[in-house]
Amino acid sequence: MLLLIAGLIAAGSINAQQLTGREIVQQVKNRPDGNTRYAEMELTLKKKNGSSRQRKITSWAMDEGKDTKKIMFFTYPGDVKGTGFLTYDYDQIGKEDAKWLYLPAMKKTRRISGSSSKTDYFMGTDFTYDDMGSRHVDEDKHKLLREEMRDGHKCWVVESVPVDKHEIYSRKVSWIRQDCLTAVYVEYYDKLNKLHRVLTISDVRKVQGFWTAHRMEMKNVQTEHSTIIVVKNPKYDIKVDQNLFTVSKLEKGL
Amino acid sequence: MKRFFFLALIWCIMPRPVNAQDEDSLRIGVKGFVDTYHALRVEDPHDWMSSRTRVRGELTIEKGCAGAFVSANLVQNAILKDRTGLQMREAYGYYSNGHWDLRAGRQIIVWGVADGLRITDLVSPMDYTEFLAQDYDDIRIPVGGLRLRYTQPKWCAEAIAIPVSSFFELPTDVTNPWSIGPIPIGAEPEHKLNNMEYGGRLSWFLNGVDFSLSALRTWNKMPVLCNGIGVYDRMTMLGADFSVPLGKMVLRGEAAEYLGEVQPTMNSLELPHASSTNLLIGLDWYGGNEWTLSAQYSYKYVAWGDNRSSSLATFRISKNLLHNALALQDFAYIDVTNGGIYNRLSADYALNDQLHALVGYDYFHGDEGSFAIYRHNSEVWVKLKYSF
Repeated sequence: MLLLIAGLIAAGSINAQQLTGREIVQQVKNRPDGNTRYAEMELTLKKKNGSSRQRKITSWAMDEGKDTKKIMFFTYPGDVKGTGFLTYDYDQIGKEDAKWLYLPAMKKTRRISGSSSKTDYFMGTDFTYDDMGSRHVDEDKHKLLREEMRDGHKCWVVESVPVDKHEIYSRKVSWIRQDCLTAVYVEYYDKLNKLHRVLTISDVRKVQGFWTAHRMEMKNVQTEHSTIIVVKNPKYDIKVDQNLFTVSKLEKGL
Repeated sequence: MKRFFFLALIWCIMPRPVNAQDEDSLRIGVKGFVDTYHALRVEDPHDWMSSRTRVRGELTIEKGCAGAFVSANLVQNAILKDRTGLQMREAYGYYSNGHWDLRAGRQIIVWGVADGLRITDLVSPMDYTEFLAQDYDDIRIPVGGLRLRYTQPKWCAEAIAIPVSSFFELPTDVTNPWSIGPIPIGAEPEHKLNNMEYGGRLSWFLNGVDFSLSALRTWNKMPVLCNGIGVYDRMTMLGADFSVPLGKMVLRGEAAEYLGEVQPTMNSLELPHASSTNLLIGLDWYGGNEWTLSAQYSYKYVAWGDNRSSSLATFRISKNLLHNALALQDFAYIDVTNGGIYNRLSADYALNDQLHALVGYDYFHGDEGSFAIYRHNSEVWVKLKYSF
């Protein structure tokens, strides 16, 4: 799932002069990432004082046309182990995602709101559900600001302003590597146009021919709380049964 | 036998990694917790209402499509001495491939979409030994039977057969602070084929709605007072439930008709039976910024007797703070018919990944109805929980 944000793909070098900001973001979104995906993720939540907490997740995703089905389970710590999320992400703007949450202590699956959580933070991390999912290109207005080198890679710098004024950021500025169409650095500004969060993506390398970001750090520069996500054992185009993405599987668990 | 279970439990709780190499290898999963819970009455005589410590172990062993799951508690209860010891929770074997899922053994079966109220959720009864002060999964009592599920991406069919039924556990011992009084309870139905429970549920999970239809040949698992004795008898439940997401809200509902439900009486030689209509509507609001509100209203109408209508409501508000390290929640049961209330206010703070500290206040009020008997039981409580 996070594989989706940081994304991947070698689509070859693209001539920036022929592209608008929207076209660049569309290229990033369109990069092939396999029809199915699997990953294990370690999420480390770090406080300003250095103390940390950890979450571990195992997830699968499957594309159906432009829509995506995802299922994920918490495997650590013990109090949330077995908790599962099932999501059907619809590409169509305005069509609510379908979401279910399974809580093992209640032994019950709940249908949850598909629209409200997008701007909430995911399980106490510094990533929002929107950051973790696949945001539609036209939910923001994009503008190519410039091209510049970052960490030895040629990047486009694109500013994205949300169409919906209720989003938690007023604008974001992304540094997108031209060689692999992956955002490697993103600045999020709050409603007062002050820098709020910074996403740094590193350890980008190919897995099964797909560019894969293995480490993402989102830091809230105002509170100095940060979340590091390390992606382990990513796999693409794995054989997955459609019945993996069902409430029954959510209740059965891993 | 107890020694065997004790050793099994100790083996269960020894931390070890979950193996998950390939599908045909033997996979062993272990989880559980140690917790200690203590509650003090806020009124005179300020005595202990609950004081217990337990170890919960859950073990899953799986190879290929087949596996087994065992869950047990090892409890030391300082108030209810007969609750000290090993308590087997669930113990079942299963076979599960892409479409079919079969479970056989002692298991908790949960139906419906209601939160803490039972309309179609009649399979696994409740343990009221400490009223609602236990964790919810401890309150649910497993049943012994078979559950077969067939799953397709948009729908699921479930059939159950329960030859070993379970029934509500009620605190009739007067030394229990949660006692409802020395009410004589009649014998539970024998475990024989004629007394078997059976039923099914058909569920659909669609783009804008989830809904289910259910039917169950069962028992009134909460004993009904007939001529001063709690009795059980057969009944049939026909029910339906739905969940509809509406923007930031989810609307939930359940409806069930209990056919031939036994009714309380004080002066009848025969057990009176009548149908009852049971309805529930609920609304969840996911407000953003980690706020969640939920409200439910349930209504029961019995086509017999003097007191035909009754209703119950619940209200929940919760807020997560400090990157989910602190969870605040208030949950209330409101006896609309009699004006009673049970309200639990709680705070749950994660000291680290494994250790949680919880504090809370349970408030009871009521002159009549189900909460009246506990109107002097308001309590403060603390709990420490270590999960592994």
